Formats: sequence, C-alpha cells, structure tokens
Amino acid sequence: MNRFAMSASRGIARVTGTAFGPYQSAVVRIGFAGTWLLFLLRELPHRAELYGPDGPWSWSLARRLIDGNGAFTALMWADSRAWFEIVYALALLSAALLLVGWRTRTMSVLFMVGVLSLQNRSVFVGDGGDNVLHLMSVYLVFTRCGRVWSLDARRARRADAARARGEQVTDRVGPLLWCVTGFALVAVTASGRLFEGEWTVPVLLWAVWAAQAVWWLVGRRAASSEPRILADVVGNLLHNGALVVIMAEACMIYATAGWYKIQGSRWQDGTAVYYPLHLDYFSPWPALGDLLSASGTMVMLVTYGTVIVQVAFPFTLFNRRVKNVLLVIMMTEHAVIAVVLGLPFFSLAMIAADSVFLPTSFLRRLGGWAARARDGVLAGSGGIPRPRRGEHEPAQAREDAEDPEAARIGFTP
Amino acid sequence: MNTHDGGADAPESREAERPGEVDAVAGTPDAPEASQPPPPGPATVEPRTGVAALSLRYRIGAAVALAVVAAAVCVHLGMVFLHIAPSNTVTKAHGKAIDEWIYPEFEQNWKLFAPNPLQQNVAVQVRAQVRTADGGSRETGWYDLSAQDGRAIDGNLLPSHTQQNELRRAWDFFTATHDDDNRAAGVRGTLSESYLRRIVVLRLERGGAAGAGGAVERVQVRSRTTNVAAPSWSREKISTDPAYRVLPWWSVSDDEAHGGVQ
Repeated sequence: MNRFAMSASRGIARVTGTAFGPYQSAVVRIGFAGTWLLFLLRELPHRAELYGPDGPWSWSLARRLIDGNGAFTALMWADSRAWFEIVYALALLSAALLLVGWRTRTMSVLFMVGVLSLQNRSVFVGDGGDNVLHLMSVYLVFTRCGRVWSLDARRARRADAARARGEQVTDRVGPLLWCVTGFALVAVTASGRLFEGEWTVPVLLWAVWAAQAVWWLVGRRAASSEPRILADVVGNLLHNGALVVIMAEACMIYATAGWYKIQGSRWQDGTAVYYPLHLDYFSPWPALGDLLSASGTMVMLVTYGTVIVQVAFPFTLFNRRVKNVLLVIMMTEHAVIAVVLGLPFFSLAMIAADSVFLPTSFLRRLGGWAARARDGVLAGSGGIPRPRRGEHEPAQAREDAEDPEAARIGFTP
Repeated sequence: MNTHDGGADAPESREAERPGEVDAVAGTPDAPEASQPPPPGPATVEPRTGVAALSLRYRIGAAVALAVVAAAVCVHLGMVFLHIAPSNTVTKAHGKAIDEWIYPEFEQNWKLFAPNPLQQNVAVQVRAQVRTADGGSRETGWYDLSAQDGRAIDGNLLPSHTQQNELRRAWDFFTATHDDDNRAAGVRGTLSESYLRRIVVLRLERGGAAGAGGAVERVQVRSRTTNVAAPSWSREKISTDPAYRVLPWWSVSDDEAHGGVQ
C-alpha cells in the first residue's frame, strides 16, 4: 500500500514536472504543419474550386449544411472572394510559421483555425488524410511542441545567454501578437459570428488567448514563484494529456482499420490488396499496380501482413524493439501507398502521426544530421554570414542545450 | 457513425486524489519544501519544478488541474472509442451523448478499405441539353467525367482533391442521401443534388460542351458501375458488364450555369 502511494506520488511528480516527448511532439508538429503546407501549395491553383465561395460546393450550400451541424469555419463569416483569399493566405502562413516553430502556441491555434476553416467549409472534398489533420490540429494546440527544433527554442536560448551576460531581455513581439489576436477575437465575437455554431472551438480560442495573458503575467515573476510554477505544471499536464490523446488516436486508427478488415471476405481470402490497385481513382501507375499484384502469393502475404501489422501495432507499444520494427514497416507501407495509390497527403499525415512513436535517440540523431546538413549548406554558400558564436557548436552540444529538461519557462511554451 | 470493433485501447486513468506527498502533514506549517527526514520516493524530484515546490494551496490547484486533465483525456478517448466502435450496448443507450461530444469537430472514420475494399469502378457520366447560339436546341453525347479524373491522376505524383475526391465523393454523397428511385432524403439529399449538378455543369463548361455562344439548359447524370476483373491468378468468375444508374434530367438554373469558378 505504501509502495503504491509512493509510486503514485512519483508518477504525479513526473507528469506535472515534465512535458514528455519534446522531440516527438516537435516532429509531429513539423509533420502535420508540413503536410498541410504542402497540401495548400499543391491546391493553390484549385483553391477556389475546392473552398472558394463560387466553387461547386458553393457558399450558400455550405451555409445550409453548417447551419445544421454547427462546425467551425471562418470562411462562413463572409461570402466574398477577398475574405476567402485572406483565410487561405493565413492558413498557408500559419502552417509555415508553425513548421519553423515561430510563436508556436499562437501559430498552432491559427493553424487549427486554418485547417478547420477550409476543411469544414468543404467537407465533401476531403479524405482520410484530411480527417487525421483535422483531429491533430486540435490536439496540437494543447501541446508544448516548440521546445526543440524551433525558432522559439533558439530565441529562448539567446535570451538565456543574454540574461547570463546581464542584459535585459524584453519581448515585444509576443505581447503585440497577443493584442492583434485579441483584437480579432473581440471583433469577430462582437459581430456575433464567432458563436454562431458549436461553442467548442470558439471557447478554446478565447481560453488560449486568456491563458497566454496569464502566462505572460506569471512569467514576469521570479522563476521560483508559486504562480509561475503552477502555470508550468498546468502547461505540462495539458501537454502530456494531449500527447496521450495523440498516441491513443493513432492506435485507434490502426486498431479500427485492422479489426474491421478481419471481417472482410477479401481480407480473409488474401486478395484485398489487389482491388485498390485496380480502381481508376487510386491507380496513377497502372503498370506498377499490375506488377505488384502479378503474384497471388505476394498479394496474399501483403494482405495478411497489412492486417496483422494494423491489429498488432497498439499491443507492440509494450515492447520497444517490436514497436520500432512495426513502425518502420508501417511508415514504409505508407510511403508506398503515397505513390502507388496516389495518396501523398494522406500518407504524409499518417507518417506524421506514426512519428509520435519514434524513439528519442533516433530523433536526436536525425536532428544532428539536419543541423549538419544546414551548417553544410550555410558554409557552402559564402554569401551568408556565419552564425554568431554560441550557435555554432557541434551538434551534440547544441542538442544538449536544447534538452528540455534543462530548458526554462519561456513566454511561448 | 457505425463502425466495427475498435480493438484494444484502455485509456490509462491516473487518479490524483492526493496532491502532495507525506510532508504536507509535517510539523512546521509553512515549510513544505524542507523535509528533513527525506522520504525515499519524492526526494528524487527536482526541488524547484513541479508540485514539490508548491505550498498546499497551490498543490490543491495542481491536483485539480491534474484531475480535470486526466478526466478530460479519459472521457475524450472513451467517446472517440465508442464513436468508432460498432453499434453496441453502450452506444445504443448513450448514442446521443456520444454524438454530442464527437460532432462536429471530432468526427472520424477509419474504415480504410474495410471491411472490404471497393471492388467496382464507379464512373459518373453526364450529358446535356444545350441552347445553341442560333436559338436551337441540341443534346450532347455522354461525357465520362470520372474517366477525365482518371486521366488526370495517371502518372501523377500529386493528384489534386479536385481530381481524386470531388466528383467521387459527391457521387457517394448523392447515393447516401437518395433511395433507389433517386428520391432525396431530407435537406442533405437536396444539397447533394445541387452539389452534383454544379460539379457536372462546371466540368461541361470547362470542356466547352455548350459550344460558342451556347448555354447548358438541362443535364442528365448517370453512373456506370463495373466490377474490377478478377485477378489473373484467381479462378473466380466475375462479370465485368457495366450497370447503369440513370438520374432524371435536371434543369440548370441561371446562377448555376453562369456562376462557378473559372
């Protein structure tokens, strides 16, 4: 009994004192922001047809559907083409800034607004990839996903270094951004449009905005002050909770997909994989599809293998090594699907979701490679000035500096 | 929303009744950090972060936050699980509560190629009655819009949603909201008709079906469904004769004929 109480209190200390998975949450952030960014760029020529007020799914058709389901979309706030272009541009911009981790929390909120606005505006053009993005864009808002591999992390390091030199660091951009978003929130709320539909997302917008004010206020106090620590604890709790939700969501996707397949006669007789390869809408490379399905034995092995991997995945989380093997298999399968079935953005989104399970050691090595590649590029092009001292240590040292255990509380967590 | 067995996911519940550790009871009321006889467990915690650094008042706050977050995570995961699970005892009893939690933002469907993959190619085709520039009337032949999509997808590393999803899902939406006699069920049925009509008119105009100075007055849509041929290594016999579903002629209103994206 006593031992139970002790391990419970140790668990509580960890879950409140640490935001777990800094590299995992960062790679998920980069993965989904990148997927959405690439998608928006891809559809740039088709944006008006997909989401514009005069597209086939016109603004008034969407109005009638959304009046019924109350989904959140900024695109219903006005039916003009100009407003649509602004929202699309903001969605692009917020995806890019979330990718690089600039003011991560605010950008994650704007990213969510962008994803929901476009997707909810035209629900009938999406597929499974959009569905994953939709959910994850909401979950990401709750995470502290910018603590590594982000401009925020770099800013925090520089601020720390400046403080160590005895300089005073004042952040003007953060409060300014807060004022701008606040102004927008007040304006939309006052116009009565924000709370037209379901309240979940609007309330979340206001809550994050208010929380940022609280965070800023307590951040002005000493690091050891109790309100500040409590704010940090709450931030950690939300992050850890969201991370659990993201992981469980990924497991549920695989479990549902797998367990359902078991019931299908085509998955039982080992021919299922043959069929998508021969659907006109999912066969950009018909010859490749024929090649892959030339052997009945191969098709059967892939068919059974897919089901086994999907059903097994959630259970393999209890064993690191098996989990990593399955992770490699699933990411490979999605990479193949991207090309063979012509579903690049669905596959990217699934790989982004999978990457929450990547081991930290691998991610750190990945970060090291990326940093070296970046340094190589910078050194190669002579025109760019060399980074200042302190930013250019060997990868290992930089990673240590980014270690979130050592990181302190910044304005933008 | 009815789906099949979601499999194993037991959301872990970590109940947080006791905010702090043993030292909260210790003699001096205002010295929560100093625990002279170090209790073996919590002593390993770094002193200046987390709950260990907080006084009782703030610990209660942290405990409340922990309880709220834990409860929210558990409830949300439970709701999502029930949403994607097949109809069962619980979902039959509490379907409304689940729907209220899930819709509209957390709706999801992971029946990816399951329980069986689609084994038919469904092509949406359209023909039009056109008022020509000289005031006459002319009926076009059938345009296979899905075949156009298919050609756009062929050899394409990055198929657009306009090529892969728009028409395909619009047809799915139509069939899901209409009975076998093509009668619309509810608002969604009429919405799906408008949507499908706007898509086919847009495609017809892009294809220049009306000709110079002409206008599309009426359209007729049909689907052509063909089974995917059985694999060469299979002994199965599958008919690949197409089956048609022909919808009635629809009049195209002015805004539908001339609106739309360029």
